[in-house]
Amino acid sequence: MMLGASCKSKLTVWIVMAMLLATVGCSTKVTRMDAGEVQDLSGAWNDTDSQQVSEEMVRDVLERPWFNDFTRAQNRQPAVIVGEVVNLSHEHINVNTFVADVERALINSGKVQFVASSTERREIREERKDQDLHASEDTRKPMGQEKGADFMLKGSINTIIDASGKTQLRFYQVDLTLISLADNRKVWLGQKKIKKLVERSNLRF
Amino acid sequence: MRYGCLAACALLLGALSGCATYSNSFGAVQRSLAAQNYDDALQELEKQADTKTDRVLYLLNKGTVLRMKRDFSGSNAALEAAKAEMARLYAVSISENTLSYIVNDATVSYAGDDYERVLVHLYMALNYLELGQLAEARVEALQADISLRELAESIPGSKFTEDALTRYLSGMIYEELGEWSDAMIAYRKAYQAYRKYQANYATEIPDMLKLDLVRLATRQGLKKEAEGYRREFGVMSAQEEEGALPEQGGELVFVLSNGLAPIKREHIVAASGPQPAVVMGASGDGRRRAAAPVFVNIALPYYESRPAEVLKARVSISGKRTDTQLMENIDAIARASLDARMPAITARSIARAVSKVAIQQSVDRIGRNNDNDLAVELLGSLFVRVAAIATERADTRSWLTLPANVQMARVAVPPGRYTVTVELLGDGERVIAAREYADVVISEQRKTYLTQHWVPRPVKPEGVRK
Repeated sequence: MMLGASCKSKLTVWIVMAMLLATVGCSTKVTRMDAGEVQDLSGAWNDTDSQQVSEEMVRDVLERPWFNDFTRAQNRQPAVIVGEVVNLSHEHINVNTFVADVERALINSGKVQFVASSTERREIREERKDQDLHASEDTRKPMGQEKGADFMLKGSINTIIDASGKTQLRFYQVDLTLISLADNRKVWLGQKKIKKLVERSNLRF
Repeated sequence: MRYGCLAACALLLGALSGCATYSNSFGAVQRSLAAQNYDDALQELEKQADTKTDRVLYLLNKGTVLRMKRDFSGSNAALEAAKAEMARLYAVSISENTLSYIVNDATVSYAGDDYERVLVHLYMALNYLELGQLAEARVEALQADISLRELAESIPGSKFTEDALTRYLSGMIYEELGEWSDAMIAYRKAYQAYRKYQANYATEIPDMLKLDLVRLATRQGLKKEAEGYRREFGVMSAQEEEGALPEQGGELVFVLSNGLAPIKREHIVAASGPQPAVVMGASGDGRRRAAAPVFVNIALPYYESRPAEVLKARVSISGKRTDTQLMENIDAIARASLDARMPAITARSIARAVSKVAIQQSVDRIGRNNDNDLAVELLGSLFVRVAAIATERADTRSWLTLPANVQMARVAVPPGRYTVTVELLGDGERVIAAREYADVVISEQRKTYLTQHWVPRPVKPEGVRK
């Protein structure tokens, strides 16, 4: 009986203290949160996905028959250019990093040659024009000597979301196509799927 | 007599201490916004940057003000952070909710009302559209779709399960990207949502949507559906031709964010004064005294509309004039949302009042049982009473920089560089303000988005406690 009473009064003291804290909390500001905090909860597309997909895609593209067909017929390495990879997903995916990952994996394979993209080319042409006026005869690079690409790599990133309550199924599908610039033939289609089950917590402290 | 004095002290202290509710601190921001001093408003908002429970609101307001300043990338960064914070707050906090039953509802982190969660996507989409990043705007349209699906699933009976304007804008984005069937679906959903808006918020189906439905249904070969819309809306073929975009033309889409969303105020519903004196015997020790009166109050929020001076905008471009149409009545949506939440808010307030009564009575009892000094006993009793009243505040938090309503006008014009004049019209078409936008570029078969947010001056001095 006595014990019960003291427990109860202790509880009351705690509640009173909580109320006191809350009154104080109104005037003083408490915690600071990092704005750049990374959320692993969200399960969004990240650098790991980008690297995984690009590496697997490149491994696949170099194993396929188009590569041997081309080298046999032309007796040289194919020159490839990366065109647009369209983001059709529900996330603000930075497609540029994905494209950079693909380019890096392709160049490092040593099996294909790479040609600068159209925006890069424009900048380089400006530089050549400038060289024409200002560079010395023996270092000047002539115009009209650019290497044309044989194939263009294009693609898209798609998502399908299925959600129910706190569970969400995220399905990413990356499609890449290699198109022959000479005759618009599609010589290779690559597809990589990533499935993520995101379960959100219902409670936090 | 002693208790009368005590009561007076408690009330006085209660009025002096405690803190202003969230909405009361907004007056300075609104004054800066009305004067178009966006930097001042941002500085004022920065004061709330460190709050733990209101971080979502800080980010939402910052995003909206940066938009008004036409810093669309900055606005998107803030709104994206708000989205992440809202996602984090999806999980219900045990500690915050426990505290809310003792202190007040504002101890719970604000995770955004349903309509606010959807409007984040709308405003981010508009930001991207003004930046000319159509693909990114499409991402927002997809995210809005996910949010809306989630809403419809979690609260089936709710009035707000579809956001008509967000659906309509999604349709416009898909159409511009040439994704015709997605656009058709979005327009249909917008149409269904507007039918609900008609019933719930007295918002009519905009004429431009009617024309879009007929045009796109015809284009997709959905003859029956197109015929149905024609009959229902009474759309004449002349109107259709007028609304149709010339093949080579572009279009100006002007979006007016008009006024400010309603603001929540607090009102004290019940203040319980001294209860009839009850003779309380503490285990018959002979010290019989009347119980100290218990003080509780119930503070509930209500919405106060902010007066809207501007009724519509008139957009002039290359000799063509068009008036804006009401697309979304945020004022009505916010009010309906609070109405729907009111029973739960009231129930929590009553539960809180009960726990506060219990605390006061048990502190009194402890004081009496402990044979303390009378002064100490009174101090304890006084303290809990002050705390009980000072902490009972209504939760008046909401996204205050949202407009009261959103209006839109679309004008088809040939490609070129134009000066756009926007006149804001009040009662009887009186021009309240005019603004010129120079060098607006209209491209072939593209939509050029232009947005403006009109904030009226606060009518009465704010920051006064009710």
